[in-house]
Amino acid sequence: MARFASPSTLAGIAAPMAVWAVHFVVLYSLQGLACGEGWSQRGASWAMLALTVPALAAITWLGLRALRAARAAGAAGPAARRARFAAQAAALCAVLATVAVLFTVVPVLLLPACR
Amino acid sequence: MSEARMDTLPPGENSRRLAALARIWNNAPGWRGQLTAVNHGTVGLRFIATGFAFLLAGGALAMFIRLQLAWPGNQVLDPERYAQFVTLHGTTMMFLFAVPIMEGFAMYLLPKMLGARDLPFPRLGAFGYWCYLFGGLFLYSGLLFGEAPDGGWFMYVPLTDATYSPGRGVDFWLIGVTFAEIAAVTAAVELIVAILLCRAPGMDIRRMPLFAWAMLVTAFMIAFGFPPLILGSILLEIQRAFGFVFFDVARGGDPLLWQHLFWLFGHPEVYIIFLPAAGVVSMVVATFARRPIAGYLWIVLALVTTGFLSFGLWVHHMFAVGIPLLALAFFSAASMAVAIPTGIQVFAWLATLWAGRPWLRVPMLYLVGFFITFVGGGLTGVMVALVPFDWQVHDTHFVVAHLHYVLIGGLMFPMFAGLYYWLPLASGRMPSESLSRTAFWMVFVGFHLAFLPMHLTGLLGMTRRAYSYPEQLGVHWLNLLSTAASFVLAAGTVAILIDAALCFRHGRPGRRNPWRAGTLEWALPHPVPAYNFASLPVVADRYPLWQDRGLAARTADATGLLGDPASGRRESMGTSILGGVPEQVIRLPGSSWQPLLAALAIAALLACFIARLYLGSVLVLVVLLGQFCAWAWTTGDRHAPARVQAGPRLGLPVQYACRNAPGWWALVVTLLIDGSLFASLVFAYFYLWLGTEAWPPAPMHAGADPTARVALVLLGVCWIAAAASARLMRRGGGRALALPLGVAALAGAGFLRAQWQAVASGTGAPGEHAYASVVWTLAGFHSVHVAVAMLVGLFVAARGQRGYVGAERPLEQRIAAALWAYVAAQGAIAWGVIHLFPEWA
Repeated sequence: MARFASPSTLAGIAAPMAVWAVHFVVLYSLQGLACGEGWSQRGASWAMLALTVPALAAITWLGLRALRAARAAGAAGPAARRARFAAQAAALCAVLATVAVLFTVVPVLLLPACR
Repeated sequence: MSEARMDTLPPGENSRRLAALARIWNNAPGWRGQLTAVNHGTVGLRFIATGFAFLLAGGALAMFIRLQLAWPGNQVLDPERYAQFVTLHGTTMMFLFAVPIMEGFAMYLLPKMLGARDLPFPRLGAFGYWCYLFGGLFLYSGLLFGEAPDGGWFMYVPLTDATYSPGRGVDFWLIGVTFAEIAAVTAAVELIVAILLCRAPGMDIRRMPLFAWAMLVTAFMIAFGFPPLILGSILLEIQRAFGFVFFDVARGGDPLLWQHLFWLFGHPEVYIIFLPAAGVVSMVVATFARRPIAGYLWIVLALVTTGFLSFGLWVHHMFAVGIPLLALAFFSAASMAVAIPTGIQVFAWLATLWAGRPWLRVPMLYLVGFFITFVGGGLTGVMVALVPFDWQVHDTHFVVAHLHYVLIGGLMFPMFAGLYYWLPLASGRMPSESLSRTAFWMVFVGFHLAFLPMHLTGLLGMTRRAYSYPEQLGVHWLNLLSTAASFVLAAGTVAILIDAALCFRHGRPGRRNPWRAGTLEWALPHPVPAYNFASLPVVADRYPLWQDRGLAARTADATGLLGDPASGRRESMGTSILGGVPEQVIRLPGSSWQPLLAALAIAALLACFIARLYLGSVLVLVVLLGQFCAWAWTTGDRHAPARVQAGPRLGLPVQYACRNAPGWWALVVTLLIDGSLFASLVFAYFYLWLGTEAWPPAPMHAGADPTARVALVLLGVCWIAAAASARLMRRGGGRALALPLGVAALAGAGFLRAQWQAVASGTGAPGEHAYASVVWTLAGFHSVHVAVAMLVGLFVAARGQRGYVGAERPLEQRIAAALWAYVAAQGAIAWGVIHLFPEWA
């Protein structure tokens, strides 16, 4: 698992935003399902909030891992500088992904699920 | 890595090599050469020239629209004509100008910028161009038959279904646009592989020009963003042509499904247009600030995050259709979030200018126009991202103003900046300073006087897409101003294009690198050789020309990497994805008739289809498949040595033996695109399910009966047999491929038989209900994939018999096995959706 989308690869740079995308799709689908199938609105809202926790945890994990990789890479030689660059990009993407997930979830706190 | 040089060439050897390179790489002479050309320089310039021709066509339509709206009650266009012109104007500008022109810039520039000799799939690029040209002509040919599309550029159903648009106009749109989109999809494959694998040695991901980063993100966005529209177009066309049901409420369909599929494409599309332009801005700003770009890392971050976030915006085009508020709020939030990365880029560009010594030459002037216009469009974008505000201005001219500020600000101004910036590279001459500045002021002033008033006319209640408006609204003077100014804008645009065209003949001859830029394309001499670099450059900086003053001279001599064209083949180098370390020599095909002939066959196929000559379509399809097989047969080289000498002390494998072969990555990207198409179809299935009471409607029924289970087992056999082919080939060579791939093909045929029977037993005719339509479409979609995998497998098995594939050249076997694995996985999902889900639900 530690090698999955390693922060020094292109997939590693994209990984935090991929988590945002999955979270976004899951919330939007859940909202559509809950309203289409007549599930409890309150339950749907709580489920959406609950699903935000693993999303934020995954992004935080990816971000911290990238930060550690950036520190560990150092600046000795082009390969190290390249690894540091990719890890820094991954860490910054994690920050923006966190903001984006929070943006997505704020309306859940303010609005009922199906009105 | 140290620069490899062979200074001890015998006298005359260098010029002999240069002559050989020119002979190998030049297009054939005369008309034949024009029709068979595949070189990226030729194809890229064609994309650009054709894009500008469509810009003029779309612009001319806009002038008619403005004349009609100049005063209430005008009779320039009747309502039908007006609807056709609005539709064609939007369609032309989006599909035939904005996207292709940026592909053209990328195809022309990227190899030069990355230090390569060509793109990895030259014939695919040429094929894409012909599809684009023929698709565009196909769309416009509707005008000749009096059947131009008139449903708006987003073709909303039910207006565009067979009941309300019985003519062929909509068919011309659906088929022509999908035909032209082939170019976007092939460009996505080609550009991703080029950027990942075909960079100069030493150009790691930190040293890639930002235009390449922008195009990489854009190409991935095309890969995920275009398939929903392609799927939507297919669904609408088979509803119109064969009576399937997807969007008809009476039989379980839903018109909103079309809107979802359209805008799932349509919103990323805006960023597919903007990100390449942002890449151009990053290149031009650094050169004219005369310093490296500030915040390179931040711009990369902004490109990547914009690429993702732009997929979370599509419903903001549907705020007024009655979706629950919470869902709207998700998209409203994402629409505001996307302003963050865009803002980061704008600040990085400003910081570069602030820290540099800006030089206000013509390209920079156009960038000033970009900053002012685009920021304005971005701000109104945040306004319409707010749901209550959007409800007020939805379908008014406020939105017209917003979208033109974004598209003309975000695409046209940077594109003109890029045009003037790279014109000296393509033409070897300088554009006219006086004409280009006058044209800029005409475009800038004309644009703002034409579109700024539209914010106001929209707020006052003037609707979009209506052929006129009441005088009582009191907006006629503003409209007259818009019309007058739009002609100034048009004249300025024409002046720019005339200036650019004249430059090629009458411009003042310029010297190499007139702007003193730092990136590789400016190392090229004039006229730019067809092979770009006689010796491939070795890069150690983000701006190689600023850091290494001898680089231009060295790459013009055939003394370095791949400088010796002893093989007589077109050759370029492949490097590793992250580090830019040389990995392989890529042998490329030369001029060929195949791309043009294949595109002509597709045009014939679609023409038969639209004329309802379905038998003719099938016959042409057989011809087309034969053409593709003949084309594919000419790839590869059974006599290629396993390793070739790329330079002193540098021996490299040829691509057929390399793990990171371009063909392998092309397959990966193609499957991503296809996966997105499949996901869109599965989405359509569940969307229709959610809106229907009984699924399946009685008397239809679903369930995994024994036949369906046999089908699933046979699909597993396909996968196992194809997976075993690798091991068998390692032991027995290419001839051993016949057994596993033959078994896979047989099992595939059995699967098709069993699956057909299983689906037919419980599902009624497609025209009865949306359930039957979507199930048949899903099963048919996957069946086509099985048939393609069978064909590919048998093709590779035949290639193995003839010695093209073997243990030392495994590429084609890897492709066949991976394709079967993908088809089996897709089939398992489709099988579960068709046979299991209805029972569970």
